[in-house]
Amino acid sequence: MTPHTLTPAVARRGSSAQPRVALVRPKKPLRWITTAAVAAAVVGLHAVAIEGTDFKPELLVDGWQGMAAFIGDAFPPDLSWEKTLKPGLEATLVTLWIGLLGTTLSVPFALLLAALAAENTSPHRLVYQVARAILSFFRAVPDIVFALIFVTAVGLGPFAGVLALICHNTGVMGKLWAESMEEIDAGPQEALRTAGANRIQQVANATLPMVVPQFVGLLLYRFDVNVRSSLVLGLVGAGGIGLLINQSIKSFQFDSMLTHILIVLVLIIVVDQFSAWIRRRLAA
Amino acid sequence: MPRAGQGPLLSVQGLRKSFNGRTVLQGVDFSVAAGELVAFLGANGSGKSTTLRCVMGITSPDSGSISIDDTALENLQGRELQQTRQRMAMIFQKIHLVPRRTALDNVCAGALSRIPTVRSLSPLLFPADVQQEALDCLDRVGLADRAFDRVGRLSGGQQQRVAVARALCQRADVVLADEPVSALDPHAAEQVMALLRELAHSEGLAVAAVLHQPDLALRYADRSIGLLQGSMTFDLPSPEVTAEHLDTLYAPDRIASDTIVSDRTQAA
Ligand SMILES: Nc1ncnc2c1ncn2[C@@H]1O[C@H](COP(=O)(O)OP(=O)(O)OP(=O)(O)O)[C@@H](O)[C@H]1O
Ligand SMILES: [Mg+2]
Repeated sequence: MTPHTLTPAVARRGSSAQPRVALVRPKKPLRWITTAAVAAAVVGLHAVAIEGTDFKPELLVDGWQGMAAFIGDAFPPDLSWEKTLKPGLEATLVTLWIGLLGTTLSVPFALLLAALAAENTSPHRLVYQVARAILSFFRAVPDIVFALIFVTAVGLGPFAGVLALICHNTGVMGKLWAESMEEIDAGPQEALRTAGANRIQQVANATLPMVVPQFVGLLLYRFDVNVRSSLVLGLVGAGGIGLLINQSIKSFQFDSMLTHILIVLVLIIVVDQFSAWIRRRLAA
Repeated sequence: MPRAGQGPLLSVQGLRKSFNGRTVLQGVDFSVAAGELVAFLGANGSGKSTTLRCVMGITSPDSGSISIDDTALENLQGRELQQTRQRMAMIFQKIHLVPRRTALDNVCAGALSRIPTVRSLSPLLFPADVQQEALDCLDRVGLADRAFDRVGRLSGGQQQRVAVARALCQRADVVLADEPVSALDPHAAEQVMALLRELAHSEGLAVAAVLHQPDLALRYADRSIGLLQGSMTFDLPSPEVTAEHLDTLYAPDRIASDTIVSDRTQAA
């Protein structure tokens, strides 16, 4: 652009008293009606939900003594090594292993399904739809349900928990990975396509290496979630610290229960710090 | 690749393209000889990128003929068409390398069409001869010493030279560059233009580059082509391009650019 195109604009702006362009906001008459309708709908939904869940705060106020007695029984936590601490720590490790295997062993399945379920890497529209449907299914079925199904095949124990987590995590992580692939800059992939690379080569040499940081971030997040899920799976018989918590509640040993919960707290903090540390290193 | 034909390496005739009924290219004819650097000049929206994308086959033109080494692409099919297309490589303004991979691995990716799929799943599996060739290509753009640096660590100018090396590793003899220096500082822009000219003059490649800086075009290109609203207004040896020629390209935009500038100053 040549300088002389600039001058008139600046001069005009400085000298004229009358604005050359009148400020008139475009009218959108339906805007406030829409806002009001959305607000009313949200309030209405909450009213129905409060009704549907028997949400009555007064019950909590009336019954606080029961809760206090329960918590009082749990203090002080039982720190005896043989009876509580040792089995607790051993079971915690099992919980950690369930979460770990449930995450890592789902990686190949999640990776394959994600590549087939992302618009920019899927070989065909039909494959895309099928992969999406499979992911939705594994995501929709809760890990507890998978655990109950696998228990009928392999019996109670950690193995059923691992299998359950693999299934559910494949669905969730595959979806998250597919989305992060769709958000990636398409340029490098297009560049390889024009260079004559086939679809698999494009994905392996442009799309995947571009999304590695996002993938690892999501993997760590899922590891974190899966360790906590494996606790819950323990409650339904998949072993680990969840099982011990369940047993100590059933046998009214609330002081042991508290110890186990404290161990879980430490585990969760350690896992959280570990993922944060890796993510920091990755970002650097 | 040994030359077969006698005519220009790249020849384009009657290229037409419209998007949703709006004509963007109305019959573009040009050719680029081996050993020649040709610049495309034109205002925003004049159809420069569309021209290159049609030639590359990224966008399919409505009509027109594209020949490489006297072989018309429309007469080819399947594998032969693919192999002929691979004699053309594209350089992008946004460079489009993978920042997390090393310069060498990015250059190797230019050779993917020659690597079996299983051996292209990871850079660790790339054949040794491809890696050696990629290193030679990096050497030709003056970056052999940065081969094992991640591309993200390199400067913009170095990254664009890596992209040129990738085109070389593709063994392309026609290089199309869409604003290869628009994201670069003046010094890096000169370096990349000098590199493109050298590839044309010393190695006999046919190079066409879209440029937004007429002075770069006139200093580096052997020939300059002006595009105005999808038609060519001139196709001349660079020394014969005058200020009037350039004015015709950018002049019709003056009214539009005036309003844009006044919008900007008011916003500021
Ligand atoms: N895929 C598309 N769909 C619709 N219109 C398009 C498409 N690609 C390009 N156009 C239009 O074609 C015209 C020419 O675009 P093109 O990108 O070729 O211009 P250009 O000369 O490269 O401009 P610039 O200097 O801004 O890069 C523009 O008006 C653009 O809006
Ligand atoms: Mg363009």
